[in-house]
Amino acid sequence: MSRPGFVLEVDERTPALLMHEGEGFRLEKLPLGSRVIYPPESLPGFRDVDAEIRRALDAPLGRPPLRELLFAGMRLTIVFDDLSLPLPPMQTPDVRQRVIEQVLELAAAAGVDDVELIAGNSLHRRMTPAELKRTVGERVYRSFFPDHLKNHDAEDKANLTEIGHTKHGEVVEINRRAAESDLIVYVNITLTAMSGGPKSVSVGLASYRSLKHHHNVHTLRHSKSFNDPPNSAMHHSYNRMAALLAENVNIFQIETTVNNSLFPKQMDFLNKREWEWNLKDQAAFLAVRRANELVPPARRRQIWHRNAAPYGITSVTAGAPEEVHPITLRSVLRQQLTEVNGPSDIGIWGLPYICPYNVNSIMNPILVMSLGLGYFFNLYRNQPIVRPGGVAIFYHPVRNEFQSVHHPSYIDFFEEVLAETTDPVAIETKFEEQFATDPWYIHLYRNSYAYHGVHPLYMWYWGAHALEHLGDVIFVGGDRKTTARMGFRSASSLEDALEMARERVGSSPTITYHHTPPVAMADVR
Amino acid sequence: MKRRLFGGFLDDLRMVRQSRDVQGRARTPRSALVHESQKRSDGFGTAWARTPTARAARRVLQTGVLKPVTWSQVSPRIEGLDHIEHLRGPVVFVANHSSHLDAPLIIGSVPTRLRQRLAVGAAADYFFDARWRAIITTLIFNAFPIERRGSDRRRSLAPQLLGQGWNLLLFPEGTRSEDGWMAQPRLGPAHLCVQRQVPMVPVILRGTYAAMPRARNWPMPGRQRVIVRYGRPLFPEENEGARGLHQRMVQAMSRLWAEDELGWYGSLRAQAKGELTLPSGPKQITADGSGSAVPSGSWRRSWEASRPLPKETKHSRVWD
Repeated sequence: MSRPGFVLEVDERTPALLMHEGEGFRLEKLPLGSRVIYPPESLPGFRDVDAEIRRALDAPLGRPPLRELLFAGMRLTIVFDDLSLPLPPMQTPDVRQRVIEQVLELAAAAGVDDVELIAGNSLHRRMTPAELKRTVGERVYRSFFPDHLKNHDAEDKANLTEIGHTKHGEVVEINRRAAESDLIVYVNITLTAMSGGPKSVSVGLASYRSLKHHHNVHTLRHSKSFNDPPNSAMHHSYNRMAALLAENVNIFQIETTVNNSLFPKQMDFLNKREWEWNLKDQAAFLAVRRANELVPPARRRQIWHRNAAPYGITSVTAGAPEEVHPITLRSVLRQQLTEVNGPSDIGIWGLPYICPYNVNSIMNPILVMSLGLGYFFNLYRNQPIVRPGGVAIFYHPVRNEFQSVHHPSYIDFFEEVLAETTDPVAIETKFEEQFATDPWYIHLYRNSYAYHGVHPLYMWYWGAHALEHLGDVIFVGGDRKTTARMGFRSASSLEDALEMARERVGSSPTITYHHTPPVAMADVR
Repeated sequence: MKRRLFGGFLDDLRMVRQSRDVQGRARTPRSALVHESQKRSDGFGTAWARTPTARAARRVLQTGVLKPVTWSQVSPRIEGLDHIEHLRGPVVFVANHSSHLDAPLIIGSVPTRLRQRLAVGAAADYFFDARWRAIITTLIFNAFPIERRGSDRRRSLAPQLLGQGWNLLLFPEGTRSEDGWMAQPRLGPAHLCVQRQVPMVPVILRGTYAAMPRARNWPMPGRQRVIVRYGRPLFPEENEGARGLHQRMVQAMSRLWAEDELGWYGSLRAQAKGELTLPSGPKQITADGSGSAVPSGSWRRSWEASRPLPKETKHSRVWD
């Protein structure tokens, strides 16, 4: 029986607590009285995942069984979430592979010849052949790559089609092959309440023309939070687009959720509450931390990125997207939601080594910002864990390092745009079109493994709500110059950071540490 | 490089060790107590510890190691053994609990005949949470797990052991005292004695908190004085319920504690006048001289309890 999430109040019994800080972690003693948000313990996963998938495909919600939707001569397109999900990547076999294999078994039995598989990578970088193979499995890869197993290309004008406009004038433009298929089967992993549902096709297969309607500063500032769909302007836009899509294309959605088992057995201490660490956990902490510090940085990154999470699958639901997604969301929240009593003056987050956009890559400063002020800050319902004008303290080294193949436009954004302004609106107004239409970035996105030129700007917008809400942002252990370039401050220790924060929030601030990963979603009352 | 390796390691070690005991266990923060996992300790069987071989090994360990080491570290005075000399088991010893010295002192002082068939109730979540710890505790103390909370409490091994003729040593407060004073004892031992119709022997230990309080892993230096005082056995009376026996147990323990301040006869007089209560620490100082106990958490409680018992002098005993 998994225990629910809860809020710890630090007392004299509380041992030092674990903080992630990039490709490393540390123990930190928090001031007495600080609150710590813990997620619910990892829920048990299904014993027989394949049987659950079979059950979902045979008894979908709002759709006939999948086998009845498949027929000889049809055009079937299977779309799946790209490598940005889940985080960290899943131990093989990936659940997408399991689902796709069963869908293909049914398609083969029905005599479907025209099958295409597309990674719904939107403006993300293309997945490499090795990454595709890892996601869909050897058998699928061997049968379909390279001609019928592809990445979505949001800049391939010839293979995009405009579905129409929503009542709000939003253009819905998606992958032509998918749009012209008799059936789109979307295979999803919903890691947080932000993903899945109406977002899957309308974002995963969309073009910049379509994405800019919700990936903008105004929408993100009115998404409070973007992990709480009913209160997220971004999701309202997704919903409008999904409604239009539902009228024009036939989507069979298969959504899965995972539990909170992020780290393998030998790193079990990262999954446990600190006062429950036994001697083995403590020894593992000391050994791993020390070894981690001694390993050269490049090797260290490789080791961290080799970590594959032993997730358990907690739900598999199939059918009409609008009926499937509420069930998926319930499952996500059951695993992540923790009730918190009101916001505090200071919020603390330890930022880990991975975010959706640096899988097998480098977490550059812009991604650190988007992870902290975007993803982690927005892990709330009702209100943020920090009061308006409060201070966010993050743990991360924020090194000035970039992966030039994956993030070329990020380098220019950091060097040129942030040197001029850090204001999201000014950035959007002055620079977005330039970055979005730059032919070199488009070439790299289509032919290399680069994120789209506009992507760093989106990452900056991702933090727009937090930037507007917070009074100050401090990075413990952050590179001074890099954080200053982004308009933030750095401190060498928590004590220093708290001292700096007191300038803003007074001498006796209330403090909340959002203990994540694993992901904890704060329901702030 | 070497300094980085070892300096950093020592810093990390220091951080890990903070708020943990020598066995690496941290106490659960108060706000997390309600979320503690209910570990089932019944996976660890203790029957092997009552086999002839284990009993023989225990006899050697208790008389050859446990008692000599304990007696070398503290200076115990044992009183009231005459009350239990001729007692026939099974019997339940109930004692106040403020130190890891308590069980070794009772085991070392109880008559051999009773010790050889003595089993000690030990907290399942503390002594039986790791296999190696459970084995050591079971072998040396003939311990059996006691669930302190949760539904497993009803499945205690204690009635079964009494039925098999084993004497039990139980600490009815459920845990070692935080500040050296007695917490309200639980009803369990009284229930057990009434249910099995066995006598209960109240025992008071004084000075053990000062000699080895919580968080210490070895007694304080200087062979501090401790007192182990056995009371008269309490037999469940006809038609007496557990609450009645529990009440008598509380009175007996209060009186045994007060003997040090009031003397034997003085404590009897105070008891007769209804002036005795469980030792609950120093009193609040009020203008009219009355006053209640200092509230828990006050430094004065630990301060008073950690005061070592005065050294025994040659003149303190009339008949010496």
